[in-house]
Amino acid sequence: MLKLYRHLLIPLLTWCLALTVQSQEIKFTAQVDRTTIATGEYVKYTVSLSNSRERFEAPSLGGLVVVQGPFDNSSFTIVNGRMSGSTSRTWVLTATAPGRYTIGPARVRIGNGTIETEAITIEVTKGAATHSDPNASQGQSRDPNLFTTITLSKSKAYVGEQIVATYMLYSRYNSLETTKSDMPKLDGFWAENVELGETNWDPQLSTVNGLQYRTATLKKQVLFPQRPGKLRIAPFVMECVVNRSFFNRGTEVSIRSNSVEVNVSALPSGAPAGFTGAVGELEMVVKADRTQVKVNEAIELTVTYSGKGNLKLMEAPALDLPADLESYDPKVTDRISLSGGGMTGSRSYQYLIIPRHEGDFPLEPITFSYFDTRSNSYRSITGAEMTIAVSPGDGSTATVQRPNRSDVQVLGKDIRYIRTGDLGLRQQGEHLFGSWPWLAGMSTPLLGFLLFLGWRRKREAQRHDVMGTRRKQADRTARKRLNEAELALKSSDRSAFYTALSRSLNGYIGDKFGLGPAQITTANLTERLAGHAGGEALADELMALIAACDMARYAPVEDRPRQQLYDEAAALIGRTEQLVRT
Amino acid sequence: MRKLLTSLLLVLAIPAFTLSGVEADSLVARGERAYAAGDHAAALARFDSARTAFTSPALLYNIGNCHFKLGDIPHAILFYERALKLAPGDPDIRTNLELARQNVVDRVNELPGFTLGSTWSRIRGGRDADQWARRSLWICLALFAVLAAAVAARQRILRRGLLILGGVLLLGTLLSVGFAASRHREVTDDSEAIITSPKVDVRSEPKDGSTVLFVLHKGTKVTILQQQLDWSEVQLANGNVGWMPPATLERI
Repeated sequence: MLKLYRHLLIPLLTWCLALTVQSQEIKFTAQVDRTTIATGEYVKYTVSLSNSRERFEAPSLGGLVVVQGPFDNSSFTIVNGRMSGSTSRTWVLTATAPGRYTIGPARVRIGNGTIETEAITIEVTKGAATHSDPNASQGQSRDPNLFTTITLSKSKAYVGEQIVATYMLYSRYNSLETTKSDMPKLDGFWAENVELGETNWDPQLSTVNGLQYRTATLKKQVLFPQRPGKLRIAPFVMECVVNRSFFNRGTEVSIRSNSVEVNVSALPSGAPAGFTGAVGELEMVVKADRTQVKVNEAIELTVTYSGKGNLKLMEAPALDLPADLESYDPKVTDRISLSGGGMTGSRSYQYLIIPRHEGDFPLEPITFSYFDTRSNSYRSITGAEMTIAVSPGDGSTATVQRPNRSDVQVLGKDIRYIRTGDLGLRQQGEHLFGSWPWLAGMSTPLLGFLLFLGWRRKREAQRHDVMGTRRKQADRTARKRLNEAELALKSSDRSAFYTALSRSLNGYIGDKFGLGPAQITTANLTERLAGHAGGEALADELMALIAACDMARYAPVEDRPRQQLYDEAAALIGRTEQLVRT
Repeated sequence: MRKLLTSLLLVLAIPAFTLSGVEADSLVARGERAYAAGDHAAALARFDSARTAFTSPALLYNIGNCHFKLGDIPHAILFYERALKLAPGDPDIRTNLELARQNVVDRVNELPGFTLGSTWSRIRGGRDADQWARRSLWICLALFAVLAAAVAARQRILRRGLLILGGVLLLGTLLSVGFAASRHREVTDDSEAIITSPKVDVRSEPKDGSTVLFVLHKGTKVTILQQQLDWSEVQLANGNVGWMPPATLERI
């Protein structure tokens, strides 16, 4: 019976023992050092397996981020010649956002079965604000171990206002080699690179969401937006090899940074005259090294712009110099530094001015306008007003001082000034030529002339007519008067006889030759009869007869008988008539 | 009879609707002040309203200046040309016209002899369009006065001298009437025009879509040969002929 027992019991016991040993030896647990943390704090999660060499499956971490680890730990103990071992793996975890996180069960396969650990829930509360760069956490969410960011000093700017862009590399790998990096194309910006020298890791670690990173500034740029609108800077791409060592070829990792956007607003309206697009925090100083010079001595006029802004795009000031001052192209001196704070420094324009004539030359003050980014408004700075007093040269520098005669310079072209005062306005469409007044004006003189001619001719004709009649009737009239004289002769009326005879002769001559009573003289008569043969003798005879008549009329003297005088007169009239007719 | 009546009424009514000389003078004075103050647009408006009823080379010249200052080069040229038509020898108008022409793109209108007969054209053109007509009146009056004196003169030497003077005056009368007639023809001739639209396609036929012969630009002077359906057949100074669409030019 005992034997049976022994035969039966021993294998049973052994089996039972083996069973208990097995159940004692394999142990698979998971534990955390605490179940409630704040964001940025760490929780240590350990999975341990005792007495098995099986590899266990890592659990899902349920959104928690691995800060460190996993660290493997294994221990062996030999008790009573028996070897027992345990392996454990530890992660240091953290969470980026508050909430409930569940670490899933870890599994191990032993024989035909699977052993699981319990799931662990961790409560994450909102922690104290740590360094939280949104760009960094954005980049971190892609790859917690290696990422790059672009950071801008401001996301809203005016056209021309400077923005500093920083390209940062965050890494948690021990070794890192960059094989390729594509910097983004900058569309719509004027960019100036800041000289950083060789890229080195920053000596200080920086913490992003509780994780510590080594950081390096890859590049710094000062950007000047050139147009309004939403300007986007594309992500930049880097290819790196990480964890390369003597034994390890390393892993290739390609990373893309975030892309950033800048809201660029146009400069407000109402820019002052002379604004050329300068934006920033600027000052201007105008200085002349002296204002009292002699002719042909040089003056240095310096215009210095200083401050923060795009000094490299600053234009030369518009110098409006009097024509007698000669000036040359300015010398530009830059003291511009580019740093993390942007572009600062000064740019100066140095003008050399040489007066060629004496006199006082007031210089127009230089006005500089820019958009001030501190007050977001336009500002104008007016330089000091100055007058350059030029005295005549003393002749020591120049060998011969002679007044420079030069042509009057044509400084500009413009149309001549308008007419002022009386413009001589006339009715629209009124032309003198061919108009009725013109025609009347042209024909009136002609008409007047013709009238004048007509009047003259008529008068002439009339005069001619009167004389002709008189001439024609002269003989008859004279004979009529001779008849009167004959009657007086017969009646022996002395006074009537002589009166009639005198009138007959005088009337005849007056009528015949167109002479008035006072014009009957020897000279006139001779002239009238000059063209005829024997005219002069006849004239003398006529005048003698008239004289004899007059003598007898007014004096009681009769030199010949009346009958003879009568006959003589009749004969003379007849001869004269005959003479004139031929 | 009715026609005569209406025309008579019109003649009587015109002064009531349009400017009086005094009003025009005050408009011009205000325009001058505006121009001096730099307000060229206002000056132009004043001068233009004075021009509704009156004209003179000086007024047209001032209007041209306003257009020039306002940057309207084609109209500046147009008004300078109009002014020059009335007073061909005027140095101010010539200078400004030359300056305005420098802004014209087309180089066709460099007329030979334009500057050649400057003195001649000044003598021939006179101060305004009516000067030769006025001169002809005076010379004609003098001619007949001298002829009358010659007829009335008794001394033979005096009469002969007066007759020679009369012959000279007769020649002067004929010349001045001839000048006045040719000036009148020039002044009333409106066949020349200035292109006012920025760019004109000159076509071979008076309709859209026909062959484009050449392209002209604002400010160029052309001669209008005939008009049909609002299209104008124009000739350039170099002899090229083509049709231009309506409302692209203004007659000088």
